[in-house]
Amino acid sequence: MPMTRRRWTCVLVAAALVAPASAFAQGGNPYEGDPAAIRAGRALFANRCAECHGANARGLNGPDLTVLWARPVRDERVFATIRGGVSGSVMPASSAPDQELWAIVAYLKSVSTVSAAVDAPGDAARGREMFTATCVRCHRVAGEGGTMGPDLSNIGRVRTREQLTRSIREPSASVAAGFRAVTLTLPDGGQVRGATKSEDAFSIQVVDTRGRLQGYSKADLRELVREERSLMPAFAEDRLNQAALDDLLAYLGTLR
Amino acid sequence: MNDEFARSRAVCVALTAATLGLGPAGASAQTSGPGVGGDLASVTYEQIRAGLSDPTRWLTYSGDYSGRRHSPLTQITPDNVRRLVPIWTFQTGTETRGRGFETTPLVVDGVLYVTGSNNFAWALDARTGRPFWQYRRDLPEDLTYGSSAPVNRGFGILGDRLFMVTLDAHLLALDRRTGGVLWDVELADYKVGYAATVAPLVLDGKVIVGNSGGEYTTRGFIDAYDPETGARLWRFHTIPGPGEPGSETWPDDPEILASGGGATWMTGTYDPDLDLIYWGTGNPNPDYYGDLRPGDNLYSNSLVALDAETGTLRWHYQFTPHDLHDWDSNHVPVLADLEWRGRLRQVVMLANRNGFFYVLDRVTGELLLGKPFTDTTWAREIGADGRPIVVNDGGLGCLPDQWGGTNFYPPSFDPALELFYVTARETCATYVPEAPASTPGRPNMGGVVWTDQEAGYGALRALDPRTGQRVWEFRYPTPTFAGVMTTATGLVFAGDHQGNFIAFEGATGRNLWHYQTGSRIWGPGAMTHMLDGRQHVLIPSGATLVAFALLEDGQE
Repeated sequence: MPMTRRRWTCVLVAAALVAPASAFAQGGNPYEGDPAAIRAGRALFANRCAECHGANARGLNGPDLTVLWARPVRDERVFATIRGGVSGSVMPASSAPDQELWAIVAYLKSVSTVSAAVDAPGDAARGREMFTATCVRCHRVAGEGGTMGPDLSNIGRVRTREQLTRSIREPSASVAAGFRAVTLTLPDGGQVRGATKSEDAFSIQVVDTRGRLQGYSKADLRELVREERSLMPAFAEDRLNQAALDDLLAYLGTLR
Repeated sequence: MNDEFARSRAVCVALTAATLGLGPAGASAQTSGPGVGGDLASVTYEQIRAGLSDPTRWLTYSGDYSGRRHSPLTQITPDNVRRLVPIWTFQTGTETRGRGFETTPLVVDGVLYVTGSNNFAWALDARTGRPFWQYRRDLPEDLTYGSSAPVNRGFGILGDRLFMVTLDAHLLALDRRTGGVLWDVELADYKVGYAATVAPLVLDGKVIVGNSGGEYTTRGFIDAYDPETGARLWRFHTIPGPGEPGSETWPDDPEILASGGGATWMTGTYDPDLDLIYWGTGNPNPDYYGDLRPGDNLYSNSLVALDAETGTLRWHYQFTPHDLHDWDSNHVPVLADLEWRGRLRQVVMLANRNGFFYVLDRVTGELLLGKPFTDTTWAREIGADGRPIVVNDGGLGCLPDQWGGTNFYPPSFDPALELFYVTARETCATYVPEAPASTPGRPNMGGVVWTDQEAGYGALRALDPRTGQRVWEFRYPTPTFAGVMTTATGLVFAGDHQGNFIAFEGATGRNLWHYQTGSRIWGPGAMTHMLDGRQHVLIPSGATLVAFALLEDGQE
């Protein structure tokens, strides 16, 4: 799916934010949409949050924050979570000034990928049939389907039509962490192809193309080949014409 | 120097035995079981100076004043290390955000003294990992630097006292029997951005500490305190005052000098014969934006040699003049005597965050060698004038990131193999400087760093100190923050970001053993000691401290 192939982190601490104290008594985020605050918030986020939530806020060890607003949530709730931390998790409380937390909230909202339902060409019912015939082998929707690829149950809310188009036409352009393809050659010469879920200097954990969770000691492998290409086949124009793509996109758009 | 060490070792053993009223085998005190009762021998300066000659003890951050983190213990060998197993785990219950459990425990008479994140500390039974006491400091809610990196690297010890610095920039003396505070002095005002995380270095009648917080509008210092009273004996400012030597490398502006950075957050080393302290200094402030501070910005990113008695500067060497990449030089300066082009030289070695490995004469500060140990694109070589010949300050592709080619986590030197081991980081970053606001109490980085997380990896590297050549390396999948320890059997203990604690054959780099601790090893190096006739090896990982020993006969 359209995650950036290269994850970037950023570290910086920004200019102090200036806002009248009274602004905070009114409720809501006084910085919403303010470009300077969003820039500062991005910097603060990079310094304090990116290690767990990823440089682009799309999640690493911590959750994807670009989908925070995918469900109805008030900015104050997001603010309160940053302020208080999440009990029982590694998400700490913060004692930074209110202005800085609101700037982070403004930044997160600015990168929120919640996409509005749009009137677009395509027949969702036909798209659903295609999905059920092909995509479901690897992708899961509402608990049904394969696990080789990302779960698409809410994909219509968190990805735009353009992003989805790119992922279908050129899936190798950007492969999400946890879905990178690898081919392992076992001691008996047999081969296992799958997605790398985890790896250290001594072992690798994959989900193979049959959906099995398999761990291997690297010392036991004859060969380990990391693939540039996604496990997902590319659906170019000759394989999926524009009308069919529109149908599929229409269906994906309903997954909200 | 080696002879001197040997002599002082003999003195130590005699002293220990005399104090304990025991025969030569001081270690037999262990058989009566660990405890923190009143009859324990006080730790003396002579014992610290004798380093690791008493195998039951580890008395200072690096094990001894030389900073080699090299143990003379021989029970665990390349042949039997595969039988190394965890014997206990201590769960601290406190953890940092984005940083590590960076401490090196001290051990005396079967008791471990351990500092943790958020200024927790414990005395633990070294046999079981069970606590005798816990100390926790009440920290203010408006901590500055201390809230972003709530770490601590360990205790110092002298007599019956433990010394620990705090995130609100204080130095404490604790009673090692109870963990009670004996005295508490402020190093600097935390509200400006000062903090302290360093393991104190205890000398004869002095406790040496430094500050953290170089990302704020602070001015670095190295301090000496009286262990009895907490009175400050001297202070060396790493950034000169107006008109002082070194101020010519800064703009003529007292305010800029007063907030010039140069923090001193990593424990230094000490040569008792020369009576010199070797201590690294950090980045100038602001980190990435240099337009407000034209010049070399002495003594930032330097190694300083200070007279231990007075704190006066004997010599300095600056690794990264006018740093724009946060490449602090807060490293353990490793002391050794090396045959150098036909004569024995007293040297200090360090692998620097800027990607170069350096050897200097530790008497004079003369640069003997400066060679890249990473595939750095920053500088090609060190010129005849001792300055780096910069080939890429960012315009020619990516640079090592702001965490550098290595970092503070300790390296190790094996004097028998004459190899220097360091955990190297290969990264790819782009720096975007931006004028900062320079507000006291707020971070003052002065820009952004974009790091390509897909492009990096880590490696344990063995370097020949005479040439700087890489003898071998072992690669990790990602950049790694684990320190290194070596032992007299030619073993190297290191770790990785995926949580493996790993043993290598030091001569070849052959991997001999590893254990998955379950959390990344971030900042610490291992330590080792004898207890009940078994060699113990300890490593902090995540929020736990894990102890290892060989399986005993019949346990297999």
